[in-house]
Amino acid sequence: MMELPATRAGHIGRALSATAILLFLAMPIVIILVTSFGADGIGTFPPKEYSTHWYEQMAAPGGNWATSIALSSLIASLTTVFSLILGATAATALARGRLPLHTAVYGLVLAPLLIPQVVIALGLFLFFEPAGMLGSPLAIALGHTVLAAPIAILIMISTLRGIDERLEDAAASMGANRMTIARRITFPLATPGLIAAAVFSFITSFDEFFIAQFLSTPDTRTLPVLVFNALQFDVDPTVTAVSAVLIALAVLALALVALVRKLGGHRDGRHALPVEPLT
Amino acid sequence: MAGTALAPGKVRVKTSAMRGHRSRIALVNAVPVTVFLLVLFVYPIIGVLSLSLKGDTGGFTLHWYADALSGVNLSVLLSTLRISAETAVLSLLVGFVLAHAIARMRPVFAALAMLIVVVPHFISALVRTYGWIIMLGDHGLINTLLTSLHMPGAPFPLLYNEIGVVIGTTSVMLPYTVLVLQGVMRGVDGRLLAAAAGFGASRLTIFRRIYLPLVAPGIGTAGLLSFILCLGYYITPALMGGDKQTVVAALIDQQVMKQDQWNSAAAFGVILLLLTFAGLGVLGLAKLRRKKAAARRSGS
Repeated sequence: MMELPATRAGHIGRALSATAILLFLAMPIVIILVTSFGADGIGTFPPKEYSTHWYEQMAAPGGNWATSIALSSLIASLTTVFSLILGATAATALARGRLPLHTAVYGLVLAPLLIPQVVIALGLFLFFEPAGMLGSPLAIALGHTVLAAPIAILIMISTLRGIDERLEDAAASMGANRMTIARRITFPLATPGLIAAAVFSFITSFDEFFIAQFLSTPDTRTLPVLVFNALQFDVDPTVTAVSAVLIALAVLALALVALVRKLGGHRDGRHALPVEPLT
Repeated sequence: MAGTALAPGKVRVKTSAMRGHRSRIALVNAVPVTVFLLVLFVYPIIGVLSLSLKGDTGGFTLHWYADALSGVNLSVLLSTLRISAETAVLSLLVGFVLAHAIARMRPVFAALAMLIVVVPHFISALVRTYGWIIMLGDHGLINTLLTSLHMPGAPFPLLYNEIGVVIGTTSVMLPYTVLVLQGVMRGVDGRLLAAAAGFGASRLTIFRRIYLPLVAPGIGTAGLLSFILCLGYYITPALMGGDKQTVVAALIDQQVMKQDQWNSAAAFGVILLLLTFAGLGVLGLAKLRRKKAAARRSGS
């Protein structure tokens, strides 16, 4: 946007309010990171003494936390595989092909991002309960795929649209068959998008609470379900360390995506992030 | 971009055989996701719908809806709507101020600010809510600060009430509103504002008559989006709301997990669904009207 002549006061006011709002967004995260190293238990900020006690507690083998981290990792990995398969095929159809009913399929894909998650969770509960699949990691992963696949599809659609189709046409005109084109042209160019889709599928599942809550049993609690229960009922300070690890995981994942996109030559600054499905 | 060596262009010679091939490929590739979502998304939601209409003996009934829309249940529904509306308005106001500031920052600062907006969005809402719980308690950072400044009335009750819930949900919805508003604000042609200034319009007039109408669609979209997303939201109200601030999603969770009241939970689910559809419908209609208006302008 072009600058209008601005008053000095207006300028300072804008800078101050923007800083305050950015603090509003960042503070809860900073607080958790600092508190997790505090020695004096839950909710004291700033801590009087520092230690890594809660991290040791969290990592204790055989403990609730270690078990649920393993379970969440398994479910998130399954979810990633499912949503990459669905994502690659669906994005090919939606971004490349001339698909009859294009709008209907696109709407179906977007819907899980907008429908209240509690309704999806309740529906999945009614679906899996009669099959005796409550508590099954596979059921939870399938449920998570309902949320993760649309995100993967949106990312892959934007990746495929960024690839010049004429490169594929050129390869075809030189006699390459479809498999060769996919393997040698499309796939290498789409790799950054595939990695981004995989990362976002993984963290979508790893962070998801509602579906896991409805589909889990006391023996199979994913990490967010355990965190939620810890916050609601117990006062287990280990949860600060767990939260800090979740923050680190998200930041690492985003850094990985940024790195891959940079290596892949995306310098246009637009995020291929699934945050604005409606615009 | 992959195609920097080749200028982007739409003109391509294509045989009809190739076109047929493309639509066949598209059909085959659309099958997995369509089947998956029909089985694990559409069918389960139909299950919720039919359960909400089923009586104890299996016949059709509207009993669960009547139940959901009366007494305590109705007040939970209304307070969910109120919290969603408050969150939408607040995150719109705050988001507008931030997006507007970002649009005028130097690129380096704007990029940094967008990073602070986007990164929290991908950090578990549970974790961010927990951060707020630590901050807003009677001995939390904010009250400690206010007390040490000798603010009259401190410590304030900021947690386990509606204030706490709305602060928490607003911080969760804010990234959405900022991103949507950021998008429209970037699209505003600065020359229009400069032209108005050239004709002698005051800054306030330019803002009110030129800028605001141009970003209005984004304001509508951002507000409705956060309202809709808030309706079924659970984590923050459940953890920051205390006993009195129950929302519909929490009620559904309770009814299923503790009371085995599935029909009633399903009726609430369908009500949430209908409210969401209504919101999306308004968004869709507004978009359609804008499109038609644009077509009329370019047609005449």
